[in-house]
Amino acid sequence: MKQLFPVPHVIGFVSSLLLSLIALVVVKFDLTFASGMTILGVTALVQAGLQLFLFMHVNENEDKRSLMTNIAYALFVGLVTIFGTLFAMLWGYNMI
Amino acid sequence: MKWDEFFVTGEPMIYAAMVSIVLVSVAIVAGLTYFKKWGYLWRNWLTTVDHKKIGVMYIIAALLMLFRGGVDALLMRAQTAVPENGLLDGQHYNEIFTTHGIIMILFMAMPFIIGLMNVVIPLQIGARDVAFPRLNAVSFWLFFFGAMLLNLSFVIGGSPDAGWSAYFPLASTEFSPTVGNNYYSLSLQIAGIGTLMTGINFLVTILKMRAPGMTLMKMPMFTWSILITSVIIIFAFPVLTVALALMMLDRQFGTQFFAMQNGGMDMLWANLFWVWGHPEVYIVILPAFGIYSEIIATFARKNLYGYKSMVISMVAISMLSFLVWVHHFYTMGHGVMVNSVFSITTMAIAIPTGVKIFNWLFTLRKGKITFSTPMLYALAFIPIFTIGGVTGVMLAMASADYQYHNTMFLVAHFHYVLIPGTVFAVIAGYHYWFPKVFGFRLNEKLGKWAFWFIAISFNVTFFPLFILGLNGMTRRMYTYSESTGFGPLNMLSMVGAVGLTIGFLLLVYNIYWSTRYAKRDTTGDPWDGRSLEWSTPSPVPEYNFAKTPVVTKLDAFWFSKKENTPLTDDGDYEPIHMPNNNGQPFIMGVAFFFFGFFMVFSWWIPAIIAGLVVLGTMAYRTFEQDHGHHISVEEIERTEKALRGEQS
Amino acid sequence: MKIDHAKPLEYSTEENRLKILGFWVFLGAEIVLFSTLFAVYFTLVNRTGNGPAGSHIFELTPVMVETIVLLSSSFTIGLGIHAMRIGAKKAMMTFFGITLVLGAVFLGVEITEFVTYVHEGATIQTSAFLSSLFTLLGTHGAHVTFGLLWGSAILFQVKKRGLTPETANKSFIFSLYWHFLDVVWIFIFSFVYLKGMM
Repeated sequence: MKQLFPVPHVIGFVSSLLLSLIALVVVKFDLTFASGMTILGVTALVQAGLQLFLFMHVNENEDKRSLMTNIAYALFVGLVTIFGTLFAMLWGYNMI
Repeated sequence: MKWDEFFVTGEPMIYAAMVSIVLVSVAIVAGLTYFKKWGYLWRNWLTTVDHKKIGVMYIIAALLMLFRGGVDALLMRAQTAVPENGLLDGQHYNEIFTTHGIIMILFMAMPFIIGLMNVVIPLQIGARDVAFPRLNAVSFWLFFFGAMLLNLSFVIGGSPDAGWSAYFPLASTEFSPTVGNNYYSLSLQIAGIGTLMTGINFLVTILKMRAPGMTLMKMPMFTWSILITSVIIIFAFPVLTVALALMMLDRQFGTQFFAMQNGGMDMLWANLFWVWGHPEVYIVILPAFGIYSEIIATFARKNLYGYKSMVISMVAISMLSFLVWVHHFYTMGHGVMVNSVFSITTMAIAIPTGVKIFNWLFTLRKGKITFSTPMLYALAFIPIFTIGGVTGVMLAMASADYQYHNTMFLVAHFHYVLIPGTVFAVIAGYHYWFPKVFGFRLNEKLGKWAFWFIAISFNVTFFPLFILGLNGMTRRMYTYSESTGFGPLNMLSMVGAVGLTIGFLLLVYNIYWSTRYAKRDTTGDPWDGRSLEWSTPSPVPEYNFAKTPVVTKLDAFWFSKKENTPLTDDGDYEPIHMPNNNGQPFIMGVAFFFFGFFMVFSWWIPAIIAGLVVLGTMAYRTFEQDHGHHISVEEIERTEKALRGEQS
Repeated sequence: MKIDHAKPLEYSTEENRLKILGFWVFLGAEIVLFSTLFAVYFTLVNRTGNGPAGSHIFELTPVMVETIVLLSSSFTIGLGIHAMRIGAKKAMMTFFGITLVLGAVFLGVEITEFVTYVHEGATIQTSAFLSSLFTLLGTHGAHVTFGLLWGSAILFQVKKRGLTPETANKSFIFSLYWHFLDVVWIFIFSFVYLKGMM
């Protein structure tokens, strides 16, 4: 029974629950927008990393470099799409 | 819904088209039945998973679409050739320029390129097929039925009429009440899924299935260009998927994304469309760069100049292509800051592109140039494309763009980029690799006649549009008054369009002529080529390589010929494992077609049933157990002997 | 088919390795797909028209339930793959079964939440903000729904055919998909709900 629950998985699960609780801080306390977003950004990224490395075993693959490049490229395009859209449609719209 | 809303009525040209569609369909069915070819068609083509056959089907479909889009173009030129012309009414003209754009980009240029890459890539890297042969067939049938769905719009329900970029609010149900733009969102969605799968398939193929010894920096340049193109496809197409889904939701489910009230933002559509749309331009242009690199190196009999800088510049273009999209709507009214940023990124693309132009010129320098048909296209490409590129930098300047925006100057610019870039390239590639697939070359004399017609007429057609644009003629206007003075140049453009038509007809006639009379090529290497595809016999056997080649350097085949060293080791043949044919991809495509068609008309119950059939084909795929088959050593020996004659 | 016994079952053939890489690439495309939906959501989040804003309709309890359920399902499918690697077929099937049940619970809560929104007069047609909210959540929910069908089909195959290179490969790829949905949910949880309630 014990070997069915490897320690890293259990630690990963518990920390992901903890991170979700930490993120709740932004709702329960009156924080500034910037600090709230920072907390959310950090907790979300750490959680994503946990899934990626711990559960999805991205490190064990023989094509590790291709996988990492793939994810990096996806994040590049994804972030450009999000922030570029906001820049063009909202933030830069009324700028002189 | 009444019948006259279902079928498009009231246009003699449409009636003629309906009659001809029915006649052609009847003729095809009757012909297949009379010659007893149904079984052959099903076994050898509709169910095939062979990358070469899929490639050929892509190219046939692309050529058909070239003629459909070409007829649209001719009609447009004819309508605008003289002032106050009544050949087409405004609505019909709108539909024609819309379908011309969609078809030429998505159903002609892309499939032509995907067809060439299907035929060539596995051969160039020494592989026996692509990574996922079944998925490859799925990709093709999704593309094919997506294209058919769009073409159906013109007799049933009405074509999309808001331009190929379908800007909101014009494309909303308020201003485009027909089902035309439903066809747009659904047919592009279906074809787009197929394209995304192609991108994944070829990325994995190129990363994992190269012949032993072929490191990334020993890959032929065409393979490099497809690797980069696949990356752009994978990361750009999801944006289109989302944009089209939102369009469908807005038009058919009452959402408010691009609406004029309730918080909607019409220009968000333009933003999403071009986030995909600009990388799309590089999806069709980078493979062209790859094709030219192969052709110029082969016919200058030199290795490609600046291989590394070619690779680096393509990688740079792939990143930059995602950073420039706002230049398509500088005039929207955002601040100076936004326009300045995107102006700079846009101009930056000219740098890697310029690097490539100089590399080709230096490859030509001191080369022993053979003026074959593919080479003529490559040589014409360099100066004409440069005009397109330079006018692109003019358009990149945001403040100047307020003058050029949406004029014929822009139309001339992108035709100067896409025709010498993409169209010349696919025609050149098609002449170049034709003997590999069919075992004989296309006639050079006819090919050169076609080239001169196309190259000269192209300039006659599109150069006047630069001047018209600067004189203030906007794009997409279906007619103009005589006092504008646009008449003579438009007439000149029409003359050029007729010349282009003659050129393309010669191209097709050449297929007929060469099939009947051309000498068979027995060497497999008619052009004295450099890369691995020319080491196989023509036509290529099902398994491509009887023995896997071993590569030690770039242009491995060229050096094996010059140094007389073998490309494979001495070992015996081994049985080759190949995938089985299967009808599931075709049936899935048909189901998607009906799903799309019912969705267009918002017939929910039939659409749900068709959607369940799609899911059913997926379920079939996951439960089936298909381990492929082996080709025996005796069969390989027999095939190789038959194809290579005495020499082996 | 050459089977390499030094590698885990799901990586043991060349075809399996190609499929795993191919699926990772597909997930890259999915990252962009969801990024685009997020881009649309962030652009429209304050454009509520005559409808309610996020802070009026979001409720913490169902969202926390969804989050914990989905995180747990990600944990159990991870355990399922671990069990598969040590050859414990039965344990693996149990963990996969639990995962699918948790997925169904998640969907149930999400649907209830949607029904509540609609009763409060917040439909997909009300405002651009709500259109983008429902589309983002709905796309994630549709992925979970598809995952339930797909996962059941794989579970059935494992039961019938045992742990072969093929079924192990499918199970592993399915686990990648499921973890990915969890990652997407974390971003929805943080940047849609918590940010909306801030």
